[in-house]
Amino acid sequence: MLCKLAWGNVRRAGRDYLVYLLTLTLGVTVFYAFNTISMQVDIAGIDEEGLAQVMGSMLGDLTYFLAGVMAFLMVYANNFIMKRRKKEFGLYQVLGMGRGRVATIMALETVIVSVVAFVAGIVLGMGLSQLMTFFTASLFKTQIANFHFFFSVHAFNLTLACMLVMFVLTLLLNLRAVRRTKLIELMGAERRNESIKTRNPWIAIAIFAVGVVLVGVAYYRLLRDGFPLTATDSKLQEAMNQFGITTAMVTVGTFALFWGLSGMLIKLLQSLRSVYWRGLNMFTVRQLAAKVNTVCFSMGVIAMLLFLAITSVTCGMSIANVMNENLERYNPVDVSQTYVYYTPDTLDYYKEYVNPSEADRMVLADTTVDLYSAWHGKGKSADNNDETGKKVNIADVAGEHVQIDSYLSYPFGGSNPSVSAGEMCKTMGEKLPKALGGSNADTMGLFVTPASQYNKLRQMMGEEPVSIGRDQYLLTCDMGGGLGDLYTKYMAGGHTLTLGGHELKPATDKSDKDTAAIANSAMGSNPGTVVVADELLSQLNLQPYSSSLLVNYKQGMDTTEADESIKYTLLDNLLVDGKEPGSWGIFITRSEMYTQAAQMNGMISYLAIYIGFVLVVACAAILSIQQLSNVADGSRSYRVLAQIGCEDRQIRHSVMAQQAVFFLFPLAVGLAHSFVALKVIIELVSIFGNMSIGGTVGLTCAIFLAAYGGYFLVTYLMSAGMVQAAIATRYSE
Amino acid sequence: MQTTHMATPVLEVAHLEKVYGALGNVTRALNDVSFTVNRGEFVGIMGASGSGKSTLLNCVSTIDSATSGTIRINGQNVTRMKQAKLSQFRREELGFIFQDSNLLDTLTARENIALPLTIARTNSAEISTRVQDVAARLSISQVLDKYPYQMSGGQQQRVAAARALVTDPTMIMADEPTGALDSKSARLLLESLEALNRRLRATVLMVTHDSFAASYTSRVLFIRDGKIFTELRRGDTDRREFFDRIMEVVAMMGGEGSDAL
Repeated sequence: MLCKLAWGNVRRAGRDYLVYLLTLTLGVTVFYAFNTISMQVDIAGIDEEGLAQVMGSMLGDLTYFLAGVMAFLMVYANNFIMKRRKKEFGLYQVLGMGRGRVATIMALETVIVSVVAFVAGIVLGMGLSQLMTFFTASLFKTQIANFHFFFSVHAFNLTLACMLVMFVLTLLLNLRAVRRTKLIELMGAERRNESIKTRNPWIAIAIFAVGVVLVGVAYYRLLRDGFPLTATDSKLQEAMNQFGITTAMVTVGTFALFWGLSGMLIKLLQSLRSVYWRGLNMFTVRQLAAKVNTVCFSMGVIAMLLFLAITSVTCGMSIANVMNENLERYNPVDVSQTYVYYTPDTLDYYKEYVNPSEADRMVLADTTVDLYSAWHGKGKSADNNDETGKKVNIADVAGEHVQIDSYLSYPFGGSNPSVSAGEMCKTMGEKLPKALGGSNADTMGLFVTPASQYNKLRQMMGEEPVSIGRDQYLLTCDMGGGLGDLYTKYMAGGHTLTLGGHELKPATDKSDKDTAAIANSAMGSNPGTVVVADELLSQLNLQPYSSSLLVNYKQGMDTTEADESIKYTLLDNLLVDGKEPGSWGIFITRSEMYTQAAQMNGMISYLAIYIGFVLVVACAAILSIQQLSNVADGSRSYRVLAQIGCEDRQIRHSVMAQQAVFFLFPLAVGLAHSFVALKVIIELVSIFGNMSIGGTVGLTCAIFLAAYGGYFLVTYLMSAGMVQAAIATRYSE
Repeated sequence: MQTTHMATPVLEVAHLEKVYGALGNVTRALNDVSFTVNRGEFVGIMGASGSGKSTLLNCVSTIDSATSGTIRINGQNVTRMKQAKLSQFRREELGFIFQDSNLLDTLTARENIALPLTIARTNSAEISTRVQDVAARLSISQVLDKYPYQMSGGQQQRVAAARALVTDPTMIMADEPTGALDSKSARLLLESLEALNRRLRATVLMVTHDSFAASYTSRVLFIRDGKIFTELRRGDTDRREFFDRIMEVVAMMGGEGSDAL
């Protein structure tokens, strides 16, 4: 009997339940599909074992986040439906049904809807996850060799568990609502004049102003300080604290903004008398004000979510783009091996904190080592981890090669570099690129490299050598963006550099970024190097910092085979006179970098798009539910308006205006936040290369906006239909 | 108070019919109803529930359309009007007072009263003075800045009356205006309507099933089964006497087997 009643109710209240059902289904679909990503990665033929793991762990965290968003959405949808159904539950009680049985009916209704939503969601989710596999494959630039229909038990269980938790949660909330509400309120839920929670407009304006000021100051602080990523250890904690304050300010400010919005709007429009007392403007504003008061919190949340979505998508995809665009420049040769020399600091550190006996073996290098001969037969093979494994031999594969030595520009015994970006800026009267503020780029200084080595790399790459006289210098940098521009400007300005008492003039007015790398890398290897004549360098007696061997494979050699043959897990220590002048650094093959970049790019884009999409859809769904429930609540008002002679068109305009504010205001605030954050991020990323927000990023954002706008449109059309139904009178033909 | 020079008809209803439902299941809510209301009259329409009195008011007030027959208000045939024109007509010629005051919750009393004027794009200075005037007439000046939930039922109903009057409509339509009020508030509202009618010559058409409310009018039309059963004029009798006469008719109608009132 109760089941029958519940089923009948769900069918009859289909329209109300539709919104709830759709939201729930959407949630289940997205949740299931998201959790099949690791399986999609398998099928898409991405067989890098590390990647799957990284993805797996990242997804684990994101699942919680997603579950949180979903829970918020569902509680919201549930409240919407409960408000609609209150009267009916009241009626059952008036007819003599006990509260327990009413609660049972309600629980049954929730069960029916949840089960339907779950089944529909899983089916759609399965479909979506198959489609997403192709999307995944295209993002990771792989081919799907063996596509087959798949079903993830793991994702299914996770979704089911999540649904159950949420089901219990909503049920408890609903039971509490039924138990707490008085019968008279249930019955009169529609009719009673709603008491309007008005806020003192002056307090509201004050709060709004506080919000504006907080957000403004936070913007200023962010633009001034940037992100704390580049700060060095000593300043990091301080920078993090400051950043925390900025974040808190913008968050509190955003909520204050929405809290005070209604009061501000009313006062503003009331002061414009001829606008306020015209058409339905007054009604629109009051309607907005009444609703904004109750939904200011969720509007704040939505603004922040949109901010996160826009920023994460734009930023993630742009970084991926920058990495991709500059990959060729960052990886000039087939393979590179770096060796890093000990500095006085490292020696001190070992002596003091690590192992004094080990430190005894370590020496400061007074000259660089020859890596080519040192590498000869030193490594232990990758496919043979034990000590007896075959030694890798660089000579087996090496064709053209060059060693690039980088020296510190410290004069011996000195504590400050002779050449630093900071000093250059001072000379030119300019500011250091923002991303370097607070970093150690200033104190670290530029490297110094002999011209012969630089020119040899140029030759290898098919470029003309640059002639650098004994009293000349050349600045190189492969990082592009702000730093590269700084050096170019310095040389073009004809500024001199002083190294070990020698005053040097620029050899040319600009340097070639494409031959500036000093090793293969993901994001650039050369933050700034002074190239000087070999004979000058030998006189300067500088401390070696690192050496890199850059190798191209022999003509006609298969890259994959060559990569395999010199892959190693460990290189024997390099000893000079029984002492160790440094340690082996990074070994990078070009093909490895390309694969990694493609995968990294794929992963970043994937997560960014996915998170962004989930957030945008969730926000739009919340807004949509809010607006539909507002319109349903307001149907009596619309009927009254029609009766006192208001044209349908005017009423629809008022509805449109109200909804536009609800949809556009959080979007505008979110966009403003993103704009400021992105400005800082772009500056940061520009150290590595010029970041462009266009192409795929533009397209992705356009899709998001289309989804958001689509929700707006559908909501408005549904609302217009509801208004029409509310004011429609029985005109017989 | 009735004088002869006011005999211009404001409302002319002729052979009005309203049929609900399709073939085989027809409800004839109004059956050949004809009557005239002159300018400055205060007319009551009485009848049991289901008698057709609300249908009549809905048709006259252009909220519902008639099946056949004509309704002329101020000489204009409203049965032939298009939707957009009807909105304008309602706005300019008619004022409504409903059983539940139907004020908008989110607006203050002042804004509720001003609404018909803002919809008609009256300029803001004029809106202000007209709202003040009508509020003073209905003695609600002190609640103008309150929200509906802060007012008593009687005050809400008088605000609704003010909203109906503020446009100086040709005719005020009141549908059970005292239905949701206690007797004191009901009397206050009826006295206001009576005063409006007498002093400002406002034409009022009031549907009610309450003989007491009907006794404030100058003429009562009784409707039964979709037809005008009889009508009663107050003439120069006082209200109490008129009330007794109304009760007699009501008793007679009830005695002939129709629904009790």
